[in-house]
Amino acid sequence: MGKSPTTKDDAQALFHSLRSAYSATPTNLKIIDLYVVFAVFIALIQVVYMAVVGSFPFNSFLSGVLSCVGTAVLAVCLRIQVNKENKEFKDLPPEHAFADFVLCNLVLHLVIMNFLG
Amino acid sequence: MIGNKIRHDTTWNHRDDRYGCKRTRNRGGDSVHGCKVVVIRVNLQSPNTSRLRSRTLNPNQNMAKFSIATVFIASISLLLALTRSFSVENPTDRRILVLLDDLALKSSHSIFFTSLQARGFELDFKLSDDPKIALQRYGQHLYDGLVLFSPTTERFGGSLDVAAILDFVDSGKDLIVAADASASDLIRNIAAECGVDFDEDPSAVVIDHGSYAVSGTEGDHTLIAADDFIQSDVLLGSTKIEAPVLFKGIGHSVNPANSLVLKVLSASPSAYSANPKSKLSSPPSLSGSSISLVSVVQARNNARVVFSGSLDLFSNKFFKSPVQKAGSSNKYAKSGNEQFVTELSKWVFHERGHLKAVNVRHHRVGETDEPAIYRINDDLQYSVEIYEWSGSSWEPYVANDVQVQFYMMSPYVLKTMSTNKKGLYHASFKVPDVYGVFQFKVEYQRLGYTSLSLAKQIPVRPFRHNEYERFIPTAFPYYGASFSTMAGFLIFSFIYLYSK
Repeated sequence: MGKSPTTKDDAQALFHSLRSAYSATPTNLKIIDLYVVFAVFIALIQVVYMAVVGSFPFNSFLSGVLSCVGTAVLAVCLRIQVNKENKEFKDLPPEHAFADFVLCNLVLHLVIMNFLG
Repeated sequence: MIGNKIRHDTTWNHRDDRYGCKRTRNRGGDSVHGCKVVVIRVNLQSPNTSRLRSRTLNPNQNMAKFSIATVFIASISLLLALTRSFSVENPTDRRILVLLDDLALKSSHSIFFTSLQARGFELDFKLSDDPKIALQRYGQHLYDGLVLFSPTTERFGGSLDVAAILDFVDSGKDLIVAADASASDLIRNIAAECGVDFDEDPSAVVIDHGSYAVSGTEGDHTLIAADDFIQSDVLLGSTKIEAPVLFKGIGHSVNPANSLVLKVLSASPSAYSANPKSKLSSPPSLSGSSISLVSVVQARNNARVVFSGSLDLFSNKFFKSPVQKAGSSNKYAKSGNEQFVTELSKWVFHERGHLKAVNVRHHRVGETDEPAIYRINDDLQYSVEIYEWSGSSWEPYVANDVQVQFYMMSPYVLKTMSTNKKGLYHASFKVPDVYGVFQFKVEYQRLGYTSLSLAKQIPVRPFRHNEYERFIPTAFPYYGASFSTMAGFLIFSFIYLYSK
């Protein structure tokens, strides 16, 4: 009995195709994705906490959120540069990308510690 | 020697006299107190150059030394003699000028005068038109108190007039003024300047058909027995005056809005002020309890003035006579006049009710020395010692309503001070969370006591940058988040590098 495809079937089909496509990505990219999700999660916790308690040491709040946003951005940059399917960065060695990532993180954390107060 | 006599306490109202000397507590006295003293160093040693000639000149030098020493001692004793007025250490008056318009008053009021002399006052009796009357000489006041028992005098002799008497009171000296049925304009003017308004009708006396003094003859009820005293232990002593006070004279009124004038003896509600010999054509202007028979004024510089509408109140006749108030059956063998007058004169001449505040101290809790500046949210302690003059010595003043303010435009802190019953008052409080220049203020005005007005300035600063708390507890989640992203970065880089 083939009914006409409902939206519910379409959503399920879309979800399945995404899952199967995603499982085809290499492991190192999946690790980076996990790292980004972790950073965003920490940022959300901080925003909810600020909404409850108030923004008293505003510099500390900004420092905490900025550290999460900064790590997320740097991780995304690393993922872009390391992804083999990306034609732009074909000639960039992944070690070079990783070294950039580490240096930028160092600068980010230096700034965070200073601004934390 | 001179240096030891100078003592400053922290009660204010300084006023420069015309020689630029500061008078402590505006009580004047002689101008030696509080002045910068020129110390005369007499160099009794011969200079070095004359050592060669010293052998031949020794007797002459000894004579010179001796004469210099005698001059020195003479000048010191002269100054000491001049300092026998009241002083900061002994605020009771000493020398009192009594102006009479009739020398018979000396004997008719002798009980009063001898009691004053027995208490140590030096009375100087003069007729009120004596041309040699002088209150001041070369800028110094010769007397500490003035008693005007001259109600009929139109003009005083010498250089005395209304302005001179008011100047006398303005410099902190005390005054007793007694008026009578024939009070002159001079006395009325003096009283009006001090806030006491005698009845304008010159022939009016106080009449009371309700509480007159019962006597053998049927009088016109101008001799009244008054017992409406003010409730004050300071003014009238701690023993209650049982017998009524005999009064015969004019009444006055005081402005109820004036906080410096007090009615010590008021008339009964049935009294009125009118001419006893003529019929009343209109209701009297002064009537009832608003008539004051005896009032006192304590000026802002703590000078004390007594106005009495009756000169006979002070007389021997009234002191000794028995009294019975009309309408009551109590017969008293002796009127209350003597006790009333004695207690009131003790108050007016500063034998009672005179306070001084010394030794203002403040420090942080736990320290002993006074800092020059406080920080917000400091705990500090303030203490002051208040003494009351008992007539012969300073006794500790005990009260539970002395307050200290921490004041900058308005009191941020107002605390009642607790006492250790030995005269020390202290309070501790936390400096408010506002910075600026504050004052420790003690403003103490109580009925009959001298007013205390102390102010001590102290700045308050905010936190220094390293006095804030190091880690703010509300920010702990943010600290945790930043450190966890750092840890996450390290763990991630290890996993990323070492995973296949």
